[in-house]
Amino acid sequence: MSTKPPPATHRLGPQLGEVIDRTRPLRFTWDGAPHEGYAGDTIASALAAGGVRTFSRSFKYHRPRGILTASFHDPGCIVQAGDEPNVRAAHRRVEAGASVTPQNVWPSLRFDVRSANRAVSRFLPPGFYYKTFMKPERLWPTYQKVLKRFASGGRVSATAAIGYFDKRYAHPEVLVAGGGPAGMAAAVAAAEAGASVMLVEEEYDLGGHLRWGGAEELAFLAELRAAVAAQPGIEVLTNSAVTGRYDDNWVAVLQRGLPQHRERLIKARVGTLIVAPGLIERPYVFEGNDTPGVMLSTAVRRLIKLYAVRPGERAVVLSANADGDAAAADLERAGVQVAEVVDARRGGDVVRVRGSRSVAEVELGDGTKVACDLVVMAVGWTAPTGLLNMAGDRPAYRPEAARFLPGESLAPNVLAAGGLAGDGSLDQLVEHARAVGRRAATGEGAVPDLEVHAHPALFRGRTHGMVDLSEDISSKDIVAAAREGYDSVELVKRYTTVTMGPAQGKLETVNAVAVLAEATGRSIQATGTTVWRPPHVPITLGALAGRMFEPVRHSPMQSWHEAHGAVPLVAGQWIRPDRYGDPGAEVRNVRERVGIIDVTPLGKLDLRGPDVPKLLNQLYVNKWSKLEVGAVRYGVMCAEDGVVLDDGVTGHLGPDHYLMSTTSSGAATVWEWVESWLQTERREWRVHVTPVTTAYASINVAGPNSRELLGRLSDDVDLSSEAFPYMRVRTGSIAGVGSCFMWRIGFTGELSYEIHVPAAYGLHVWEALLDQGADLGAAPFGVEAQRIMRLEKGHAIVGQDTDGLTQGYGAALDWLIKLDKDDFAGKTELAWQHERGGYPMLVGLHPTDGSVVPDEASQIVDARNHIVGRITSSRWSPTLGRSVCLGFVARHLTEPGTVVTVQLPDGRRITAAVTPELASFDPEGVRLRG
Amino acid sequence: MADPIARSPIAPLPPLVLRDGWEVSERRSTADLTLADLTPMPKLLVRGIGALRVPFGRAERDGTTLVIGSGPGEWLALGGHPRLEAGGELVSVVDLTHGRALLRLSGAGAGSVLAKLCAIDLSERTTPDGAAFRSSVAKLVTDVVRDDCAGTRSYLLHCERSSGQYLFDALLDAGAEFGIEPTGADLR
Amino acid sequence: MILVPCPHCGPRNVSEFRHVGEATARPDPASATPAQWRAYLYLRRNPAGWTTETWYHRAGCRAFFGAERHTVTNQFRRSWSGGEVSPLAGTPAELGGGVDASTAEGAPEP
Repeated sequence: MSTKPPPATHRLGPQLGEVIDRTRPLRFTWDGAPHEGYAGDTIASALAAGGVRTFSRSFKYHRPRGILTASFHDPGCIVQAGDEPNVRAAHRRVEAGASVTPQNVWPSLRFDVRSANRAVSRFLPPGFYYKTFMKPERLWPTYQKVLKRFASGGRVSATAAIGYFDKRYAHPEVLVAGGGPAGMAAAVAAAEAGASVMLVEEEYDLGGHLRWGGAEELAFLAELRAAVAAQPGIEVLTNSAVTGRYDDNWVAVLQRGLPQHRERLIKARVGTLIVAPGLIERPYVFEGNDTPGVMLSTAVRRLIKLYAVRPGERAVVLSANADGDAAAADLERAGVQVAEVVDARRGGDVVRVRGSRSVAEVELGDGTKVACDLVVMAVGWTAPTGLLNMAGDRPAYRPEAARFLPGESLAPNVLAAGGLAGDGSLDQLVEHARAVGRRAATGEGAVPDLEVHAHPALFRGRTHGMVDLSEDISSKDIVAAAREGYDSVELVKRYTTVTMGPAQGKLETVNAVAVLAEATGRSIQATGTTVWRPPHVPITLGALAGRMFEPVRHSPMQSWHEAHGAVPLVAGQWIRPDRYGDPGAEVRNVRERVGIIDVTPLGKLDLRGPDVPKLLNQLYVNKWSKLEVGAVRYGVMCAEDGVVLDDGVTGHLGPDHYLMSTTSSGAATVWEWVESWLQTERREWRVHVTPVTTAYASINVAGPNSRELLGRLSDDVDLSSEAFPYMRVRTGSIAGVGSCFMWRIGFTGELSYEIHVPAAYGLHVWEALLDQGADLGAAPFGVEAQRIMRLEKGHAIVGQDTDGLTQGYGAALDWLIKLDKDDFAGKTELAWQHERGGYPMLVGLHPTDGSVVPDEASQIVDARNHIVGRITSSRWSPTLGRSVCLGFVARHLTEPGTVVTVQLPDGRRITAAVTPELASFDPEGVRLRG
Repeated sequence: MADPIARSPIAPLPPLVLRDGWEVSERRSTADLTLADLTPMPKLLVRGIGALRVPFGRAERDGTTLVIGSGPGEWLALGGHPRLEAGGELVSVVDLTHGRALLRLSGAGAGSVLAKLCAIDLSERTTPDGAAFRSSVAKLVTDVVRDDCAGTRSYLLHCERSSGQYLFDALLDAGAEFGIEPTGADLR
Repeated sequence: MILVPCPHCGPRNVSEFRHVGEATARPDPASATPAQWRAYLYLRRNPAGWTTETWYHRAGCRAFFGAERHTVTNQFRRSWSGGEVSPLAGTPAELGGGVDASTAEGAPEP
């Protein structure tokens, strides 16, 4: 392997519009060997300057591929650059020190074993994946290993650092997609008319096809560039692409090559979108049309004029238009021997190209064979109407022009300019674009019509050749698919995968449609095209993911939990302490001494106004009119279908002032539920609801020593059991913090106080409790310990012990539901449920063998193996020294003492008995009423 | 028992100091683009149709109190007590000093930072000085007020308290390319 | 991403809202039959055309409001809050029994 780069045998002298900087040579490696180029070269142009012709092997047949378009979409020029796969070598600028390798080659680019596929191509027709490697199924793992070797595409590194993919929003009044002459003119006109403009161009420089034009075109280009630069209202984004147009002109722009970010996705809400992508030159279909050395006329002109690269030694040009003729002239000026210019306008044609690694000879329509190494095609143009289609337009095929043009149903806020919209001289197209720009900015002004010039319809020659170079689909494949019955364009696309490669049809669709039309005897208009969907150009998953915003919520005591080894529990957006050590020990400490738990995520709604009792009566199943100031009541809410929605306690804090608590996961839902009633059904009620869930740090102080502990921190509240009985609320100061409130409730079943402290003081109070309570055994307990204790007390958790079908009576709430109320949410369904009876019900269950803790969701089955219930909650109870459960059982099994069969997930069956009460521990509630 | 210390949900950057019972950062940045935690500022939520005159979507100063029309029949008063209009409708005042985290993003590039996190049009025409809106910022429901200081672009952002650190971090991340620096708050 | 015209805040991205559903009217619980109540819970006209529905501006002003939207094109032609027609307009009598022909007023071809 030589250590010197090959001589630049194909580098030309300075060209007028060249973009390379000859004062800045750079070195890089290609396929392990050193190469040299200049700053401004693309990877492909730098390699082509050194005579490289083959850049990759094709997807299925592993045919050698070279430069075809010399643009972003070049299907044969997709390479691996360092850690980055699928780099567009004919677009990406070469970087010093880059290590570039070919993709889809094994073992090497020169000799690819898998090109043997060509020999068996008969057995690899389109759709072969549906027909081969199917049976026997037991061989699928083997097939997978083999097929993996043949999979194309680059390598994704598992160890490379993840780049920063940025995101941004924008609101340009006018967005111009395409920075050629029409795009630039439209942008300037729109900005002159006062609009904020965003101009997006795929290449590194503005200019479009003017960049490889003659001296006049280059001079005009300089004028246009100066006009854009002089306009303050235009934001220019080069090396960027519009990837899609969505509803209401929501437009995605992918910005590449930024200094600090890998890629940035701009989400823009655009006033008017101007689509000016120019026209894309179309390849001609004939045998050997994918051989390295077969190029489009624009490829040749780019190579010569932009990069000063001589594309070959001896050329044959097939020309059907002025651009083909201009390419032939450029070739001659570059010192390429133009053996023949075949004029397709006069019936000239190319039949086939021969050469295995590279073009050796071309056979013309009149039978002559010409030795050459370069075949240039200029057979026509494709209009990239994708963005217009995404805006609801159906392009119309114009047979005389041999291309599609925008249809009739363009939305008023989407306009077309440049070659996409029609034909004309450069001046005419620029005038048209200026009118479009003005109209986009002001909504006014007439836009002149553009002519549509005739162009020969050249799609496939006399032989079969490649239609989709990325997917290796030939015209023969399309004909075969049509014969098999896949004769609509949508079916042909999916069956053959034509147009489904990286270019997404920009180079392939029209040829595919033409071949299909020919095969089915229909016109191109009748055949139509497939639907264009975003993204218009390939986009990385990183760009779509962006910064991945995921709000996280922390309680004021979070830092303490972390510092003390709490195992985090992710509950929605909250991070909560699940346990600090052994939950069983935490349970014992609460039942014997005193524990504190951080319950800040508990939903809290501040309710004010004279009509709060009406609201409570309407939303809860029980009665609320007579709740005195200072009293607290438990309530359950059902939805209008009678299904249990949420539960919590609500306290009457003062005149026209209540505080409602909800479950932590239901906090947002209940707030919305309350608001929906106040804003729609009951607009006349005077109630204000304010969520204060995070305005208070909430701590549950639970255990026999809780009164003693709280007494040490609270001076202004009488905590004696006479002055502060169970289910009461008091306000006062705790640990020197005023405006706290506390209520006596009993989720854990112990004497306990749930204190709510203004959130900024949460950590102070938490630490004060532990500090003051050290001799009382005060210690933190987590969510798991709390779950165990509430289960010992038979307290259901909405969403765990109820599901989306559990109506109120099924949750064992008959003691709470007051059907004699006039109206409340869910009353009708609850009344009917009560009448019907026969519903499954929540009961307590004790496994016969107390040492077995059944998995939650274990099914309960009867003698005939029918499911008659399930376990909803299940834990080992350290207090009782046995397992305790809650579960649903069919109505006929709810009698206390009934023995049921539980099937565990591993298939074992155990028995369990229905308990007399839901609570297994202290069912009378003696401990919490003290 | 120690005197109560009030803390913001946003961890203050050293050096720390106690001011009016709140643990705050004393750091002072001279960067062109800064982010400050103003959470200790008193905040009152006023509800009631016609309780205050400031229109929905605007913020106005009443002495040292900034009154923000944050919703239909809803206002947030920052820094003090607003004077309520006499009216017949139900009016309620809820102290949300502890319930909201409050940040100030200041500097010529403040709009560019916010445009990376928020889909609202921040142009002069749509969101001039004194405009107030509520929308999603980094996927968090956030109230935003454009409150320029001495001609420099500045935004107040407030969200429910427990997400304060998340919002703070998201703004610093978005502002990194513009050289943003956190700074201690001048709470006057 | 469609724009939803909030009557308070103006047009905002649909991601700020919760689509509550087609407008319904709550039957009188005292006299509703199970069939009427379930029609209120579960049955909707669901036309391919203009529909009256309720939206909730979850990430904005938090108002519940009504709107008329074309379900095929996602055009909006009206939105309102309080004061005018209740966002829950539409009676159970319009639901169930007989298919309403789609009023595809001004709707382009699907």
